Amino acid sequence: MKRLLMTLVLVTATAFAYAQNAKMPDNITLKSLDGQSVQSSVIQNDGKPIIISFWATWCKPCNKELNAIREVYEEWQEETGVKLVAISIDDARSASRVKPHVDGNDWPYEVYLDQNQDFKRAMNVVNVPHTFILNGEGEIVWQHTSYVDGSEEELIEEVRKLVNGQ
Amino acid sequence: MINNIKRVALAGAILFAGFSANAQGILGGHVTGNIQIDGQTSRRDSIIGANAVEEGLLLNARADVLYTNGNFSAGIRFEAYQNPLPGFNAKYKGQGIANYFASYNGSWLSVTAGTFYEQFGNGMILRAYEDRYLGMDNAILGFKVAVRPVNGLTVKGVFGKQRYYWEWGDGLVRGVDAELNFNSIIKSFAESKTRITIGGGFVSKYEKDETILADNPEYKLNLPHNIGAGSVRLDLSHGGFNLQAEYAHKGQDPNVLNNYIYREGQALFISAGYSQRGFSANIQAKRVDNMCFKSVRSETGEMLYINYIPSITKQHTYAFLSMYPYATQATGEMGLQGDVMYKIKKGTVLGGKYGTDLHLNGSVITGIETNHLGGRGTEGYSSSFFKPVGLYYTDVNFELNKKISQKIKLAVTYGFIRFNPVVEGHAGKIHTNNVVVADLTYKVTPKHVLRFEAEWMGSNSVYDKAVDDKRCGDWLMGLIEYNFTSKLFVSVSDQWCYKDGIGNYYNISLGYTHKATRIQVGYGKQREGIICIGGVCRQVPAANGLTFSLSTSF
Repeated sequence: MKRLLMTLVLVTATAFAYAQNAKMPDNITLKSLDGQSVQSSVIQNDGKPIIISFWATWCKPCNKELNAIREVYEEWQEETGVKLVAISIDDARSASRVKPHVDGNDWPYEVYLDQNQDFKRAMNVVNVPHTFILNGEGEIVWQHTSYVDGSEEELIEEVRKLVNGQ
Repeated sequence: MINNIKRVALAGAILFAGFSANAQGILGGHVTGNIQIDGQTSRRDSIIGANAVEEGLLLNARADVLYTNGNFSAGIRFEAYQNPLPGFNAKYKGQGIANYFASYNGSWLSVTAGTFYEQFGNGMILRAYEDRYLGMDNAILGFKVAVRPVNGLTVKGVFGKQRYYWEWGDGLVRGVDAELNFNSIIKSFAESKTRITIGGGFVSKYEKDETILADNPEYKLNLPHNIGAGSVRLDLSHGGFNLQAEYAHKGQDPNVLNNYIYREGQALFISAGYSQRGFSANIQAKRVDNMCFKSVRSETGEMLYINYIPSITKQHTYAFLSMYPYATQATGEMGLQGDVMYKIKKGTVLGGKYGTDLHLNGSVITGIETNHLGGRGTEGYSSSFFKPVGLYYTDVNFELNKKISQKIKLAVTYGFIRFNPVVEGHAGKIHTNNVVVADLTYKVTPKHVLRFEAEWMGSNSVYDKAVDDKRCGDWLMGLIEYNFTSKLFVSVSDQWCYKDGIGNYYNISLGYTHKATRIQVGYGKQREGIICIGGVCRQVPAANGLTFSLSTSF
């Protein structure tokens, strides 16, 4: 038992030691808003940065965040080429209201459903909102949980750093 | 303990297999994970009904570790409940490896061995899922295979046993599901404005015989050992219009929740709507009849559910709007929900400089008609499909969100809720509650934010010693929260039952967030109540003391 645990710890430590930035898994099945199953590899932005935001229709801070970014999204895109992909973790109770919710809020984002929460688990998301920044290679370079008004500024600052190669 | 050693060994072996299968593995692979620890103390407070925690401190903790290398991944989850937080089932007491799996995810084939979560359609015949805040986990231990032979077609198969706290339930669960997307399969249809997906599944459970007596104790029930449930579904959209429907049917399944009747079960869920940028309207309808489906027929608690019946009421987050949440009645209910969202454009008279968001939502849930035919061992009852009987729940709510200036944002919500205590399983009169919430955010500096929340609830519920429901009466609440950037916040709040009720509940919270790490400490009184997520609810007892929570992802 002890030896096994030790080995496990060693193996984990080795993996840590070598680990670069973890990549976003590209083989998780998600659903597009028109009901089609897609692989997470569809999350792409031609080598430019991507923001992934995990949210749910019932989550107040998530809605605040996505509404706040809506107001500045065009400027962000022009400046950095960044793209925001919103992953809804709504389950069957509210999943059919995701598309109306996105349209009703006039969100210009690419949105996918993660009803079985496979992507949420693969990305180690505990609570929503949880936001990731991926670099052009799809590696996770920054992540943050929770939202208060104004923290979208920190998000874009991180994207700027990435674009400027810092 | 032996079991745990075996689990660790297995997990180790799985991880090893992954590494050795690909020598590049260690270099190319990634270890990620997350940890969460929640703790609570409480002292006795007879006014709010809080008990002292004899252990001094209660702790729930869990850690997921995930190894990923290309298409291969493996993970384990360690959980510890020493002892479980109030409201969590005492059977969780203990610690160990609760979850372990290895999985291959290729472009056309996925296989998972070990524990897994899965959902067919809306979950009405199968949904294995977990919710850590509800203490709910019905993971399946077994195999899951998904095949995508052509783009647009997915066929899934699962089998295994379900988690029962620290054991695995006796019943076997087997299921297959297929989903077909016409736009991907038929080339000429690829660019069509009409998008069509259809699907269907079948789930069967096996359980060995046991002795259950009929109402006439001279007879023993002849219990079915294999019970099947099937469903068909449709997802259709055309431009801004969309329609989703699913129908599920279950064979004879006498169990403790339906009092061992032999009536077959059925459920129907329909959602239809129209949306365009800045506007959406949506209506949902549901009817459920005898659809409790568990892998062990005699289990009454929250575990071992094979299926999930979605609730179609809005999931509220403000304290008073969620004081009386609706819980799905899988034995029988019908309901309707409507939802309209509209964004008044900026630059108009009503929209002002920044625009205004409006959201109207309403739902009504009732019971189904039941004409009694007999007790245990009989058909049970008959029911006409379209006849609602008895109100369970009504909710009409309206929300307005407005940015007033660069610095000030205001959200105002009004809710009208009629609630029948029978949905929580106890007697009591249907009562009516009116709730008003004002939520104001003020940006002191671009990164420092002050938030005020005020809530009022007027209710005609009356405190009754026999029921001892401490939520009764009229309430007021105030909250002030200050955010020093997104890193640090402090909040002070008080909920006060100022009429016909019991209690005054103050709370002070302090939270620190750095990247994906969050630490929160609170001190104060917690109202006894109900936490619901997705129509599944958990009772939370009153507490008076310290709470803390730490979560991190790496």
